[in-house]
Amino acid sequence: MLVRSIGRGLVNWVMTGGSSIYDRLVDSLWRPDGPKPEEKRRPVHTIGTGASGFFAASDNAAHFCTAEHFQKGRTVPVSVRFSNGSGNATRHDGWSDLRGMATRFHLDDDRQAGVAADLLAITVPGFFTPTVDEFLDFAKWALPQPYLRQSPWYKFVKLLNLEQPRRNPYPRETISPDIGAEAFADRYDNTKLPVFLDASIGAPASFARAPYHAVHSFIVTGSDGARRHVRFNWQPTLGVLNKDPQQPPEDVYLEHELRERLAAGPASFSLMMAIGEGGDDFNDSSRAWSFQRRRVFMGTMTIDRYADDQWTDNEHMSFNPCRLVDGIEPSDDPILHARRHLYEVSRLRRGAPLCPFARS
Amino acid sequence: MADEEGWLGRFVDNLPEQGWFKFLSNHFVVPYWVWREPKAKLPGGPRMAVQPGENLQRMMNLVMPLKDRSPIGRAKATLALGQSVDTLYAGLDNVGTIHFARFVIIENNLCMMSVYDGDFDSYVRDFIVSIGNVFDAVLVHVEGGDAVIPTKQNVEKFVDWIHDHDLFQMPDFATDLFDLQDEAQNLAANRAPHDLSSLSRALVLQLHANPNFALGSGFRSYAGYSAAQIRSTFGMGW
Repeated sequence: MLVRSIGRGLVNWVMTGGSSIYDRLVDSLWRPDGPKPEEKRRPVHTIGTGASGFFAASDNAAHFCTAEHFQKGRTVPVSVRFSNGSGNATRHDGWSDLRGMATRFHLDDDRQAGVAADLLAITVPGFFTPTVDEFLDFAKWALPQPYLRQSPWYKFVKLLNLEQPRRNPYPRETISPDIGAEAFADRYDNTKLPVFLDASIGAPASFARAPYHAVHSFIVTGSDGARRHVRFNWQPTLGVLNKDPQQPPEDVYLEHELRERLAAGPASFSLMMAIGEGGDDFNDSSRAWSFQRRRVFMGTMTIDRYADDQWTDNEHMSFNPCRLVDGIEPSDDPILHARRHLYEVSRLRRGAPLCPFARS
Repeated sequence: MADEEGWLGRFVDNLPEQGWFKFLSNHFVVPYWVWREPKAKLPGGPRMAVQPGENLQRMMNLVMPLKDRSPIGRAKATLALGQSVDTLYAGLDNVGTIHFARFVIIENNLCMMSVYDGDFDSYVRDFIVSIGNVFDAVLVHVEGGDAVIPTKQNVEKFVDWIHDHDLFQMPDFATDLFDLQDEAQNLAANRAPHDLSSLSRALVLQLHANPNFALGSGFRSYAGYSAAQIRSTFGMGW
């Protein structure tokens, strides 16, 4: 059995020119209008903005998680990278797109290579597929293709079918992954919800006015020794606010808005943790959990400084969803484990600073 | 370079807001699809789930059409409830699985909205025991109510009656509607894959079958706790 498995792996490796599945996944994410490889930028979430601040744990967080940043009275510095989800190298802030917020909790004084925990979150509550193989398929289907306006007659027929015609292309939008993603979702049930949510998400009025979901399950150990499957999400304390979809989209505003906002005062997010229950699928990140799960307030993150050095504190930073500390473990979610390697492949290609995994 | 939109394109984009097109849709297009792709009326109340959290703080939205819809008829229903406040509190205190309950009159309906823990049938049986006489007094004023009075002697019929008048709860995640509709037709989920763009039609047709409905299972500030846990935690002697 083992020999057959190794044999199959070798055949696969040879057939794919010796590249790992993670290399192929990263390759599959590049868009024709994305950054050129020599620019050494990210294949998705390409355009981002760095900021910093601090996280203060809530009084009861330590009961649920013994990780250092959740200890009562503990305040730790954080670095945050907000991003547009797209791999388009040109900024189109006003286009409907999921957004990302990667947070690093710095747990010692060495902010470059010290002990830290990362929490990566996006503005939809589920990942696109539950398994790596399906994600490879999805990535192939969702390759950007020409995005043309549907003909009036076709739209008329759609309306008579009580169906929503496809949105018109945005100004300067020529290609999009949406058509392929939707075609994939038409076939595969797992993908319907994330694709539907992604397609209808709109554009946030500010990076500080969007909720962010760390879509995977993690296992946290509480002070009582209990291990719980949980999911985290950030809720903006100012509330959620989107741009008016009826207005023409602005291409460039999110970075400027954040800089102006932080110059005037801090922005903050509540970290909420939903506790999974028997009967939940802890390893399927494509499925959002029910709203009926118990939610615990774990602390407040206050962002008070726009990063002066956007190269060091944004472009050159490398996050990893499996960069965790004692008290938090990854679940068996295959996508979470794949992302550990994907982010490492991406980091190596970008020549970004060493991640702790590279040393192990 | 994105293509430019001509006058015909703008006209079609604007169609859903045009009065004549709304008329066409409501009087011809929707009836056609109701005939072509009929949807069963989906049952009311929360759905079965194995997770404990799904069985706590469940919503009941009971809509009971009034027999007499005049102000006098409404007043009679109001009086029947107004004279039962003590009975209602006695029921709340004794049943122990109810978080909140309230009665409202909306248009021609008397509605009871409540939040309860546990199994639906047990909940209804509990309140037959504790506040059955209130329901007997109220059902006199409600269409079809006579058939289940006295509730204590018509328990099974009353449970079915309540279930039938409890609002259908839309799934919390929009695309799950496909699964509910398949299930109602005894089809395996996604056996015939659904196009995502047909979700709007699925919704319109479902709202034809279930004109009144609840938008999801409700939003909870302290999800996952039972009324009994809250009473116990705050030392209310339970």
